[in-house]
Amino acid sequence: MIWITQLLNGVLLGGYYALLACGLSFMFGVMRIINLAHGDLAILCACVVFFIADQTGISPFVALIVALPLMAAIGFWLQRLMLERSLRGGMLVPLLTTFGLAIVIENGLFEYFGADSRSLAPYIGDFAFDSWAIPGNIYIGSLALLIFAVAVVLLGGLKLFLTHTSLGRAIRATAEDPDTAGLVGINARYVYAVAAAIAVASAGLAGVFLAMRETFSPYSGPTQLIFAFEAVVIGGIGSLSGTLVGGIVLGIAQTFGAQINPQGFLIAGHVVFLVVLAGRLAAGALQARGGLHRLFARRS
Amino acid sequence: MQSSKRTGNQQPNRGTKVSRREVVGRAAAGAGALALVGKVPAAFAQASDVIKIGFVSPRTGPLGGFGEGDPYVLSLARNALANGLGSGGKKYKVQILDKDSQSDPARASQLAKSLINDDKIDLMLTTSTPEVVNPVADACDAAGMPCVSTILPWESWYFGRGGKPGQTPFPFKWSFHFSFGVAQFAQAYISEWSKAPFTTNKKVGVMFPNDADGNALREHEIPLFEKAGFTVFDPGGYEDGTTDYSAQIAKYKAAGVQIFTGVPIPPDFAVFWRQAAQLGFAKTVKIQSIAKTGLFPSQMEALGSLAYNIASLCYWHPTFPYKSPLTGKTSKELADGYEKSTGRQWNQQLGGTQSLLDVGAALLKSTDPKNKEGLVDKLNAFKVTTAVGVVDFGHGPVPHVSTTPLIGAQWIKAKQGSKHRLDLVIVDNADDPNVPIGAKLQPYS
Repeated sequence: MIWITQLLNGVLLGGYYALLACGLSFMFGVMRIINLAHGDLAILCACVVFFIADQTGISPFVALIVALPLMAAIGFWLQRLMLERSLRGGMLVPLLTTFGLAIVIENGLFEYFGADSRSLAPYIGDFAFDSWAIPGNIYIGSLALLIFAVAVVLLGGLKLFLTHTSLGRAIRATAEDPDTAGLVGINARYVYAVAAAIAVASAGLAGVFLAMRETFSPYSGPTQLIFAFEAVVIGGIGSLSGTLVGGIVLGIAQTFGAQINPQGFLIAGHVVFLVVLAGRLAAGALQARGGLHRLFARRS
Repeated sequence: MQSSKRTGNQQPNRGTKVSRREVVGRAAAGAGALALVGKVPAAFAQASDVIKIGFVSPRTGPLGGFGEGDPYVLSLARNALANGLGSGGKKYKVQILDKDSQSDPARASQLAKSLINDDKIDLMLTTSTPEVVNPVADACDAAGMPCVSTILPWESWYFGRGGKPGQTPFPFKWSFHFSFGVAQFAQAYISEWSKAPFTTNKKVGVMFPNDADGNALREHEIPLFEKAGFTVFDPGGYEDGTTDYSAQIAKYKAAGVQIFTGVPIPPDFAVFWRQAAQLGFAKTVKIQSIAKTGLFPSQMEALGSLAYNIASLCYWHPTFPYKSPLTGKTSKELADGYEKSTGRQWNQQLGGTQSLLDVGAALLKSTDPKNKEGLVDKLNAFKVTTAVGVVDFGHGPVPHVSTTPLIGAQWIKAKQGSKHRLDLVIVDNADDPNVPIGAKLQPYS
């Protein structure tokens, strides 16, 4: 019974990781940028929503109507003014740029908000810790379930958007080959900026849920980044449905690990991450040598 | 922790031997001084008239909450010392050079070295967490600089820097520390739980992470609880930064614990306790007495209604009956002044920082402030009453250490019309009966 509970908790936790990882995966898939400021952008949005909720008393869910377009605008202009320029300098420069951006965001937020730990939970009342009891002494947290549902809708929606709209197709084409996409009349600059806007807005959404689930301070961003990154790698870099699977695999590995031993929570997640990574690398190396059958052929 | 290998053998050679380099260096300095012979007396007079105090604390970064009140407390100290400090019939000017460690141990160490070597301070003061205090104290021991520190369980200060039980000679010649320790934690908890005005099943669930604080308490505190008649349930250490606690919560529930304690880092506790509420565990807990989390009001406010009636321990409170010997202000005046000047709710570290400055100023008044060996000799048996209570280095658990009390307290919902959402009231005073009890312990649920 306890394993079923843990499986359920792991899946719900995985939804949270997938939500966190969505923007990271999307940005890498389209622009080949690993955004090290992803976690800090999430915290930035949490701070914006906290500010609105604290000043006006309106619900954080309503405040998202203001905060998400704001984050999208930040993402759009971030791409136009910073990332686009740094991309011209090769792969490493955007990495350093986002690293610097992370530090600027952290300390900027600290200047304004101070070091206090904050949470959006007090603004959503009992919803932060409500749960349904189902037979067999299993509890499902309503916030955890909402986060999972949002992750599925967001990742699924993005996938549909990419396959069924002309902008989505333009994004995919630009991701494949920006020069050729340009030849057929796609404005790559605009497409990149839109993709950055989507990625940053989704980071912001994840940040708001993070703030409802836990506490945050201006320096909480980087600790979140590692789980997001692991979910992306496990699920396959740049693949949206893979990100959901990756998050769930990571979540289940962690809750099962913790069930065996409380120490096992983080370790189990890291081990799964490393095993998947090693498997990928080995498969890649095998492919480069002409695949499995070739290897056997050579031996015989 | 990062400097556990450092022991007493790194202390500088203070004997009569003078190395070749020193001779050359001094000769060069002498030659330089001769060239500027006209200016020498003035420069010398100035240096010997000014006392410089180094002060290192975390103002920014994840530990920034500790340093939040420092600018205010330092301004009070500077006002009190504006007319100088009299010692041995002589009047000195006092400069406090306060530095921000940015919550980074490497930075703290670097700042300490620069204060010692470049600013030529006469005394080092440092406070709050091993990430600040230990590297600063290590730098002082290495350079022969008297150092007084506080707000870090003394075991982390002593054992965390490589001290061994009963080690002689004492490994840290130049550093001194006053703070609570594991014994104060245990005594405060046991008293609070035993005297609770309602009954519990005496089953204690503990949440000790696999970090320095968690492991120290697992080893030393659990036996004390068991000796006092409590049954302790420990599911085992977990790593800081864990994001799901359903496995542990299921085990606590199965064990039927009604009393809860631990030293989780604040973000972990928020996740844990919300999940405990989700999974139906929180409502079965009668006493929730957490440490480390709950030092600052903002951490509790972030929990929303789940924070009401969480018990905590405090090292300073506005109702403490002590006056700061440096500023002459009572604890209440300190808290009120801070709230008025900043518009923020008081926090315990105001008293912590105040007590450190109290000890530093009292020490410099008591003996020749320019004689470092003399300061250390004096500190060995130094006793003074500060904002947090009596500090007495002569009667600590190990030399150079004085323990200060921890008081049982509880976060309650603030009364209607209060400026704050939560108030901290004192519910138990086993460690220091001079502190008045403000209210009875309320059951968590």
